Amino acid sequence: MIGERTLTLLGARAIAVTREVGGIALMTGQVLRALLPPRLDGRELVRNLHRMGNRSLPIVALTAFFAGGLMVVQSAPFVKRLGATSLAGWAAGYAVLREIGPILIGLMFSGRVGANNTAELGTMTVTEQLDGLRALAIDPIRYLIVPRVLAMLIMLTALTIIGDLVALVGAAVVAYLVLDIDWRTMYFSFADNLTPHDFFHGVYKSVAFGAAIALTSCYFGVTVKGGAVGVGRAVNAAVVAAAVSIMLLDFFITYATA
Amino acid sequence: MSAAPSLPVRALAALGRPVVAAARATLELWGVLIGTLAGIIRSYGKGGRRPRGAVLAQMYAIGNRSLVFVAVTLGFIGMVMMYQACLQFSRAIGDLSQVGLQFLRLVVSDFGPTLTAMMLATRVGAGIAAEIGSMKVTEQLDALRMSGVLPIDYLLVPRFLASIVMTVALTILGAAIMYGAGGLTAWLSFGVNPRTFFDPAMVQPRHLALGLIKAVTYGAAIPIVSGFCGLRARGSSEGVGWATTAAVVGSSFAVIALDFALSVGALWLFGGDL
Amino acid sequence: MTARAFVEFIGVEKAFAGKPVLRGMDLAIGKGEILYIIGTSGVGKSVTIKHLVGFLPIDRGEIWFDGQRVDQLDERGFYPVRRRVGMVFQNATLFDAMTLTENVALPLRKHQGLGWKAALADARRRLAQVYLADFADRYPAELSDGMRKRAAIARTLTLAPEVVLFDEPTTGLDPVNARRIDRLIRELSRTLGVTAVVVSHDLPSIMSVADRVAFLYQGRVHALATPAALAASADPIVQQFIAGRSSGPMETPGF
Repeated sequence: MIGERTLTLLGARAIAVTREVGGIALMTGQVLRALLPPRLDGRELVRNLHRMGNRSLPIVALTAFFAGGLMVVQSAPFVKRLGATSLAGWAAGYAVLREIGPILIGLMFSGRVGANNTAELGTMTVTEQLDGLRALAIDPIRYLIVPRVLAMLIMLTALTIIGDLVALVGAAVVAYLVLDIDWRTMYFSFADNLTPHDFFHGVYKSVAFGAAIALTSCYFGVTVKGGAVGVGRAVNAAVVAAAVSIMLLDFFITYATA
Repeated sequence: MSAAPSLPVRALAALGRPVVAAARATLELWGVLIGTLAGIIRSYGKGGRRPRGAVLAQMYAIGNRSLVFVAVTLGFIGMVMMYQACLQFSRAIGDLSQVGLQFLRLVVSDFGPTLTAMMLATRVGAGIAAEIGSMKVTEQLDALRMSGVLPIDYLLVPRFLASIVMTVALTILGAAIMYGAGGLTAWLSFGVNPRTFFDPAMVQPRHLALGLIKAVTYGAAIPIVSGFCGLRARGSSEGVGWATTAAVVGSSFAVIALDFALSVGALWLFGGDL
Repeated sequence: MTARAFVEFIGVEKAFAGKPVLRGMDLAIGKGEILYIIGTSGVGKSVTIKHLVGFLPIDRGEIWFDGQRVDQLDERGFYPVRRRVGMVFQNATLFDAMTLTENVALPLRKHQGLGWKAALADARRRLAQVYLADFADRYPAELSDGMRKRAAIARTLTLAPEVVLFDEPTTGLDPVNARRIDRLIRELSRTLGVTAVVVSHDLPSIMSVADRVAFLYQGRVHALATPAALAASADPIVQQFIAGRSSGPMETPGF
């Protein structure tokens, strides 16, 4: 029966998801335990920050610019009909700072840095490099995972702050080009309608998104099985899990901070 | 005897290399698109073997992999967006009767297709790149060629057609869930009457057309960009990882850039009437 | 309490997915000796050495190292053991994002308390000892299998281990490079007094390097003798393995 088969499939999927959530929770515990006492490999942290920042800054800046512009374009019909040019910056800025900015930047960061991290750790896992570390009495969690988690958390937060600025510039540029709204109007529209609270709302979210992306990407990386095919599959699973986590966290943070 | 190149020449070469690489990649990307379109003509033209079974199998794979994912993510983001919108509207205007009308217009013409496609870029794009990339590095593509089958015809044509159909279908589902979740939030958290909220008066045929055009464009772009990344995979597991990463970022960014282009185009066509 | 050998396996059993691999294996290894573990593929040679450093948990039995029972330790408990028992993997497992020098410097920095600069300098000196001075700044992917194996040995020796486990150190190498690895293993044992446990198929290597050879068959140590005694053994199974005959009394799964 089709009904029975669907149920079996759903059941298997539910078990798989539960196992993954459990695995990620376990890894979170291990990371926290490795931070007590906080003996951090500063060198690895700095190296990862540098690499991750280099790799993702261009795409994040480009995405943020378009995101800011898009919000202006979406609010344009409304603004044009009402002739309320002073509202263009409000709508675009509010949407970018609180929602669109952190989410799009988070998704891009997950695709660039998170996916890369999964692929790297996955390759290390299938070529037994993690066992190589353990054989040298070096804890892979402490040496490999913790610096990566911290670096992603710090870097995504920093990128979101930078991205917010770029997005506001993008909004102003598009408003000027498409709606003929001059810079000063846009500036005052931002300044009068946006509060630091809107900005921090997005930054809190980026910290949580960074943690989620880091933990999911590391988890799927170190649990890779089955060579090159397994690495591809793990990257896929990691970005999907990160996207779901971002949307869920967004929901809970929005409600919790209301 | 050859003299070492002078400093300006070397500087030019250093600057030129990434430009040349980018130009070559762009050409290759268009090559994949044209190759796929030609593959469709070859398969569906006279004497071609229509890959109906393969298209259905890919449609099933995309739907099976993405249905729950799209439903969950779009549902949650619909709730969050409505929550934020109501918060602002009640503070600034104090009247929430317009919220549902405006939200539906945005969901149909932009958020529905674009956010669904962002999710599919992650799910489907990465999957296509991982599959094709693995086949590339294990020399299965060469094996296909040896048996007289063009890899693009065999692998990309069914995925391309399936992706377009399924992106449209999942966009309709995603938009409906997003709209429904938004209405639920407006009702439960802000007391907006569902009858006021679920009012399709603002939606014109052009909004539906814009949404449909966007969905079809994204559905076409995702397999092309991801297939291109998969075909470029080199080496072993590292190469596949690289291809998968590039596919996620490339197709996500393609969605954002295409959204921008299509939205600006529509605004230019319809102006304040949009 | 009875006196224990330096390394001792007592009645060790291990099964994978219900399929028994080790079935009550006993093996005692003396301090400073070079012991080779040989046998057909899948007989549990690599599994045996992985048990000693805690990469695989055993199902039943005991493992002792220097008077301490180690089979019941958890992951953290194994770290002190791994500082004294080094392991050289079959595929070297160098970190491919680091140069050879950085690879060797990592454990120096982590365990010997050296600063980054001092660790790098010491790493270079150690690479020179395994004849890799000219390749110190290359990445593992740019080197041959033999070079990677030697770098891996240099990296393992940074912890000054008392026991070094080698998993098929000469497999996949040409004869010249294989003899170089043999020579390194012998030098380690003679000059540093390191106990070496080597998993191998390589008969020339076994004959010229081993002090004793443990022949694994059906999950137990079937024969334990010097190479010369093993070669002269009248046991038909040992004879079949040494002579490399495809048919004989030996029962191998799937054939």
